[in-house]
Amino acid sequence: MISINNLTFTYPGSNQAAVRDINLEITKGSFTLVVGASGSGKSTLLRCVNGLVPHFSGGILSGEIIVNGLNPVEASPKIMSRHVGFVFQDPESQFILDQVEDEIAFTLENIAMQPEAMHAKVGEILELLDLQNLRNRRIDSLSGGEQQRVAIGTALSLEPSILLLDEPTSQLDPISAQEVLLYIKRLNETLGLTILISEHRIERIISFADNLVYLKKDAAGVINGAPRKIIQMIDLVPPITKLGMALGIKPAPLSIEEKGRITQDYKIHDIQRASNQMRENFESKICLEIQNLQVELGKNIVLRQVNLTLHQGEILALMGPNGSGKTTLLRTIVGFIRQNEGGVYLFGKSTSGMKVAEICRQIGYLPQNPNSLLFSDSVAEELMVTLSNHHPSMDNQALEKARLEVLNTLKRIGLQNQQLAYPRDLSVGQRQRVAIGAVTITSPRILMLDEPTRGLDYAAKDSLAKRLEEWRQAGMAVLLVTHDVELAALVASRVSILDEGKIFACGDPSKILRSSETFTPQIAELFPQTDWLTAQDALSGLRKI
Amino acid sequence: MPSSETSKTNFSSILIYTLSTFIGLMGLLYPLIFPNLMQADFSAQPRTAEMPLMLTLLLAICVIVILYEVQGSSVDAKFVALLGLLVSINAALRFLEVAIPGPGGFSPIFFLIVITGYVFGGRFGFLIGSLTIFVSALVTGGVGPWLPSQMFAAGWAGMSASLCKPVVRAFGNKGRIGEVFILASFGAFWGILYGMVLNLWSWPFISGSAVQFWQPGISWIDTLKRYLVYYLVTSLVWDLARAIGNFIFIMLFGAATLKALRRFKRKFSFQYFPAQSIEMVEDSQN
Amino acid sequence: MNPTLNTWTWVIWLSSTLVVIWSTRNPIYLGLILLTLICVWLSAATRINKQYPDSRSTIPFSPVRISVFIIFFSAIFNGLISRFGNTPLFYLPEWIPFLGGPVTLEGLAFGVINGMVLSGILIAFMTVNLTLPARSLIRLIPRAFYPLAVVTSIAVTFLPNTTRQVDEIRESQAIRGHRVRGLKDWLPLIMPLLIGGLERAMGLAETMTARGFAGDEGKPLWTRSRVGLVFGLLFLLTGWLFQLIPALQVVGIITSSFGLCLIFYTLWTVGKRVQRSHYRRETWTYLDMFVIIGCALILSIYLLPFLWLDKSSIAYNPYPIITLPQFDILIALASFMLVIPAIKKSNSNSDLHNQIRSDD
Repeated sequence: MISINNLTFTYPGSNQAAVRDINLEITKGSFTLVVGASGSGKSTLLRCVNGLVPHFSGGILSGEIIVNGLNPVEASPKIMSRHVGFVFQDPESQFILDQVEDEIAFTLENIAMQPEAMHAKVGEILELLDLQNLRNRRIDSLSGGEQQRVAIGTALSLEPSILLLDEPTSQLDPISAQEVLLYIKRLNETLGLTILISEHRIERIISFADNLVYLKKDAAGVINGAPRKIIQMIDLVPPITKLGMALGIKPAPLSIEEKGRITQDYKIHDIQRASNQMRENFESKICLEIQNLQVELGKNIVLRQVNLTLHQGEILALMGPNGSGKTTLLRTIVGFIRQNEGGVYLFGKSTSGMKVAEICRQIGYLPQNPNSLLFSDSVAEELMVTLSNHHPSMDNQALEKARLEVLNTLKRIGLQNQQLAYPRDLSVGQRQRVAIGAVTITSPRILMLDEPTRGLDYAAKDSLAKRLEEWRQAGMAVLLVTHDVELAALVASRVSILDEGKIFACGDPSKILRSSETFTPQIAELFPQTDWLTAQDALSGLRKI
Repeated sequence: MPSSETSKTNFSSILIYTLSTFIGLMGLLYPLIFPNLMQADFSAQPRTAEMPLMLTLLLAICVIVILYEVQGSSVDAKFVALLGLLVSINAALRFLEVAIPGPGGFSPIFFLIVITGYVFGGRFGFLIGSLTIFVSALVTGGVGPWLPSQMFAAGWAGMSASLCKPVVRAFGNKGRIGEVFILASFGAFWGILYGMVLNLWSWPFISGSAVQFWQPGISWIDTLKRYLVYYLVTSLVWDLARAIGNFIFIMLFGAATLKALRRFKRKFSFQYFPAQSIEMVEDSQN
Repeated sequence: MNPTLNTWTWVIWLSSTLVVIWSTRNPIYLGLILLTLICVWLSAATRINKQYPDSRSTIPFSPVRISVFIIFFSAIFNGLISRFGNTPLFYLPEWIPFLGGPVTLEGLAFGVINGMVLSGILIAFMTVNLTLPARSLIRLIPRAFYPLAVVTSIAVTFLPNTTRQVDEIRESQAIRGHRVRGLKDWLPLIMPLLIGGLERAMGLAETMTARGFAGDEGKPLWTRSRVGLVFGLLFLLTGWLFQLIPALQVVGIITSSFGLCLIFYTLWTVGKRVQRSHYRRETWTYLDMFVIIGCALILSIYLLPFLWLDKSSIAYNPYPIITLPQFDILIALASFMLVIPAIKKSNSNSDLHNQIRSDD
C-alpha cells in the first residue's frame, strides 16, 4: 500500500538531510507505530506520505514513494487528501470553523458534495467516533480528547484508506490519550484503515501496533518490523520493557499482560525502593505553606480548604484529574487570583498584599504553555528580559552582574551553546528550558511547574527529571503539577492528590501512587505488593529464582 | 505564466483599481464639487437627498470590485490561513481600543495594517485593512452603512503601504530605524486621511440636504471652506489623536514586528511550484 | 440561539425599511416607522437576553436614548447651520463665521426630520445586528468571494482564541516581573501574540492543505471577468457623471445602471464557476412569508404610483415655511407592516424548524 524506496529529503535552508535513504513497506490494514528521538524525522516521514513534503514545505526530495498507486510528489496534497487523512498534534490550530458538524462538513463542501449526501456522511462519521451528542457543540468547549476525535473525523470525511497521525496525544492527559488511541485502534479494526502513527509515549500504544518503524537519530536510517523484534534495538521503551531488557529476558515483555515472563524467573527479594533512603529523612524547613485555602471563581468553589506544605530540598508532585483545580492553585500562590479564605505563606511571611512580580522573584513558575513567555531574538536576550523587568534601570555595574547571572542560568539549564539561538526555533524540550531559565534567573528557592511533560519525548523527560533531581539536591523546593505518572514515580519525594478542589491524600509516593488505578505507574501495577515505582527499583529488588 | 499574459493581467488589474477607486473618490467628493446640484429651488431637494445613498452605494461597489481583484484566483491555504489569523489578531486589537487610555480616535489596527501591507505587499495590505473592519463589525454587531467607507479607507491604507518600499530603498534605510520612521510617518498620514474619508462620508448624512449649506450662486471654493470648518470642528481632534497614536505605536513596535514578519516570510515562503502564491514569492525576493 | 427568521428575510426586511425611510420626509410617518422599529428591536433584544443572559448582546445603548440623542443634535446642528426658513426664532450675531444669522423654526424642524431618518437607519441596522449572528452574515457572502469568506470564518473562529492568548501572555509576562506602566510595555504582550498567531497560521495552513483545500495556484484571474469588470466600471462611471448634468440625466441613469448590472453579472458568473455546496440550509417558515409579504406591501404603497392613492403626504418640506404635515391613514397603517418580525412565536417548539445555531 505504501512503498518507500531510498527516500532522502532536506528542508530548504538546511544542510543536513531530515531523512536519509528510507526504505519501507507498509501493508494494507496494518497499524504501524513510528518512533524515534526528537528530530529523527518522524514528522517528515509522515508528511511525505500525503505530499505535504515537499509541496507545503519546499525542499529537495529524492527517491521514490508510492502510496495507493500514486506518487505524492507528482500528485499534490489535494489529490492525496482523497487517499490519506492527516491528524496533527495541536488541537488548537486544526479547526477552521467553530462547530463540530460544520467543521466535518467543510471538507465535503469543498468538493461540492450534494447536501443530502453530506448530511449522511457527516452522520456516519459522528457515529463512528461517538460524537453524536457533541454535534452542535462549539469545538473550543470540548475536552482535548474530544477535539482530537473531531480532528480524526475531519480527516475521515473524504473516505481515505490511510490515516496518518502525528503525535495526536502528546497534548492530552493520560485518560483522554487512551480514549483517542482506542478509537484509532477501533477504526483500524472495523474499517480496515491503514494507520501510521508517530508517538513518543509508546507504552500506551505498543500493544496495538503490528508494525514498528524506528527512525535512527540524525537521519541515520530506519529499522522496521514486528514490535517485539525491533523493541530490543531501541532505547525509548516503556518501563516493563526496560526492566525485561535489563534482566536479559528475550523477547522482552511489551505490556502488563506479559508480566508472567518476568515473574516466572524472578522473585521479589526486597520490597523497598532503591532510592527510598534519599527521599525519606528530610527535616528541612518549610518554604511554602498553604493554609485552609478557599478559592471561588464565579459561582464555583474551585479550591476547598486546601492545606499544603512544601519543604526545602523536596519535590512534591501534585496530581489529579482535569479540572480539579491544580492550575488555579498555582495561580493563587503566585498572586493572580485572590483567595476567598486562608493564606499562602512564603518562608513564613504571608503573601497577601505582595505583587505578582515580587512573589515571582522568589517562586519560579513555569506555566503550561511556555511559548507565551518567549519573544526575544536569542536565548540570552530572553533571559536578560526578566532581569530588566525586575530592575528597570541598571547602571554599568548592574548590567555586568546581570550578564553574569545570564551565563550562570544558561549553564544551569544546559543551553550555553545555544545562547544566540532563536528560542522559538528550538525543540520543545529546549524551549521549555529557556522558559525555565527565564523564570529562575532571579535564583528563586522554589520552582513550580505546570504540566511540564506535554510534548516532551523520553529523552527530554529524562533530562528534565535529572535536572530536577540536581536542583533538589542543591536545595530547591519543587512543586510539580503533572499527569505524568512515570515522571512522578521517578522524581517525587512526596505525592499529593487534588480532586474537585480538595486534597485527598498526601505522602509517600509508593503508597499514594498505588491508591488509584489512574495514578499507578507500570511497575507498581506489575508488582502491587512492593513499594516499587520505577524499573530501577524493580531491578534492585528482584533476584533470580 | 507567459509574459504577455502577465502584462495584460497587470494592466487590467491596474485599470480596475484605478476605476473603482476613482468611483469611490467621486462619491466622496461630489457633494463638494457639484454645487450646481445645490439649487435654492426647493423642488430639487429629492435629488440632493439621494447624496448619502449614492455615496454609500458607490463606495460599496468600489470596495466590492477591489476586493474581488485583490482576492485573485489563488485559493492558497497559506495565504488564507495567514490572512485569517492576522485579521483575527488585528480585530482583537481593535477591542483593546477601549482599554488603551488616550484621546478617542486612536485605533491600534493601523499598526498591523501598515506593517503587513509593507512586508507582504499591497494586495495583502488591502485585504487585512478591509477585512479587519469587516470582521470586527460582524462580531461586535456594528454592521452598518458606514462599513463601505471604513473598508475603503482602511483597505487603501494597507494597499498603499507597499509604496513605502521605494522610499525606504531610496534612503537606504532598510533594517534601520529610518525604515520604522518612514512607516510611522506613513501611519500618521493615514491616521488623518482615514478620518477625513469617514468624515466626508458622514457629512451628507448629517447635514441632511446640503441645501442649507449653500446660498444660491456661491462657488465651490466657498463650499470647500465651509466643509473645512465643519471638519475642523467635528473630527480634526480625533484624527490628530489617531495620527499621533499610529506614529507612536509604529515607532515603538515597528522594529520588532518587522523582524518577526520577515523571519516568518523567509521561513514559510518556500514553494514547490514557483507559480504558487504569487504575492509571497515576489516579496521573498525583495 | 435560533433566529426565528431566515437570514434572507431579515435582509429583505432591512432593505425595505431603508428604502421606506429614505423615501419619506413626513415626520408623522417617520415617527410611526421609528416606533415600529423600536418595537422590533425590543422584541429581538428580549429574546436574545432570555437566551443569553450574560453575553455580548447586552447592548449598552437603548434605541430610544440613541434616537433622542441623534434627533436632538441633528436639530441643533441644522438649526445653527441653516439660513433658510421664514420663521426665525432668534438671531445669532453676524460676526460668528458661517453661523451668524437667523436660527429658524424650519431649520430646527428639518434637523428633527433628518435626525429621525438617521435614527431609523441606525435602529434598523442595530436590530439586524442583534438577531443575526456573525456566521449567518458570513453565509451571505456571495460565491465569487468564497476565499474571503473562508478568511472571515477563520478570523471569527480564532477570535476567542486570540483573546484567551492575550490573557495567557499577560500572565506569563507578569510571572517574569513585567508590568504595564506605559505604552512601551505592550511590546512583550503584542510580540508573543503576533508570533504565536503566525505559527498557528502555518499549522492551520498545513491542516487545510492536507484536507485538500489548496488548488488553482498561480492561475491568473479569469480574463473575461476582468474585462467585464472594467467595462462595467467604465459604464457606471460615465453614466453617473452624465446623470449629474440635468440634461443628460436619463441617459446617465441608463448607462450607469447598465454598468452596475454588468458588474453584478460578471461577479455572478464567476460565482457559478466556484464548485462548492452548502451544508447548512436555512428553512422558510410561514413567519418568513408574512414578513416578506408585509415588506412587499409597504414598498408598493410607498413607491408605486397607485392612481387611487394620494401619495402627496409622503414628501414633506418644512421650507420655506413650516406647515402641518399631511396625514393619510392608509399610508400610516402601511408603515406598521414593518413590525411583523416583532411578533413572537406562541410556542418555542417552532424554533426547531430552523437549523441554524449561532455562535457565541
